[in-house]
Amino acid sequence: MSIIIIASDTAEIEHSIAQKVAAAMDYQLLDRRILEDTAKKYQIDPGKLADAMKTTPSLFKSLSSGQWRYLLACVEAHVLDRLLADKIVCCGLSAHLYVTGVSHALNVRILSGDDSQSEKERENRLQQRKKWSMAAYNEDETELSRYDLVINLDQIDPAEAVKTITGAAGYRKFQVMTYSMKCLSDLALAARVNVALLKTMTDISVQARDGSVIVSTKAGNRQKRKKVETIKELAGKVEGVRYVEVHVKKNLLGVTTG
Amino acid sequence: MQKTLEVLLLDDEPIVGRRLKPALDKIGCHVEVFENPKQAVARINEKEFDIVVTDIRMEEMNGIQVLEHVQAKWPRTRVILITGYAKMDLAREAMGKGVFDFIAKPFRPDDLRQIILNAAESLGISVDKPSGITEPVEP
Repeated sequence: MSIIIIASDTAEIEHSIAQKVAAAMDYQLLDRRILEDTAKKYQIDPGKLADAMKTTPSLFKSLSSGQWRYLLACVEAHVLDRLLADKIVCCGLSAHLYVTGVSHALNVRILSGDDSQSEKERENRLQQRKKWSMAAYNEDETELSRYDLVINLDQIDPAEAVKTITGAAGYRKFQVMTYSMKCLSDLALAARVNVALLKTMTDISVQARDGSVIVSTKAGNRQKRKKVETIKELAGKVEGVRYVEVHVKKNLLGVTTG
Repeated sequence: MQKTLEVLLLDDEPIVGRRLKPALDKIGCHVEVFENPKQAVARINEKEFDIVVTDIRMEEMNGIQVLEHVQAKWPRTRVILITGYAKMDLAREAMGKGVFDFIAKPFRPDDLRQIILNAAESLGISVDKPSGITEPVEP
């Protein structure tokens, strides 16, 4: 049993391979269809959610940086909760950028082999994804060394790619263990807390371990005490949280960020 | 098949053995505790344990070497690694080498008991179910 996360610079190819891998392994496919559920769960506009998954905020767009981060946090929390079920193939949800350090998650990158795109179009698309992933998670998704398996469809047929992925997923090193499940549930808890805080705040970073949560944030001297209290109150209400610690860095601009 | 589960527990921190032995005794395990890996390996050479629980980072011999030794001598024995320095690469290495399970310290004795139960089940041995939550074991 494991989680297989498939990413590509071409959404159609990513989805097609993920679908085939899920069918071959009798795993559940987790894809963008869950965004509807995410929108309902967090009472947000599904259109904005889909937009947040591909664009970055700017002065010229209606989506502020804070809103954008909140929307991404909602997707992340929802996906991580679903991944706890295991035996899942995940695509289209950028899970390769936030499911990190989980040994039973096999991260696969498919290099497109899409003949309909010119070299320039392909390069533009890669640059867009790089920009988005860096802005969203400070990770360059086009950096191939961050994947466990990279398959070039210019050289490998899709059917062979599916066989290669299912074969790799069967390796013992990608099997579930107590430690890897704990890493995943810690990520899921941190993501839930992140959502609870980002609804009304910015400059939040959350880590969780075994029900203990560390929240890092920024605040000016005047706001510090109130912000810590608010964070403790909001995070403490999240199911699974037993202890909250808040680390505050001085906001040098003196601007309130929450 | 109901039988006493023979467990060897190896950790160079004496407190780990002191805390875990009673917890495993409660589910009917017969536990031999070692703090020195070489002494543990000498005992493994003499006796086939059902389960070996070992720390990874120890002087003289690490847990992966203990795992390899157990596998060469007693392929049926299930090996469980415990460590205060868990990382994904190490977890994958251990899993790839055939460890039964891998758990990061600190953990609750109940967590280890559940893994022991799973290992026993994989060997076709039934043991008593654990009861009660106990304090975490520190690295």
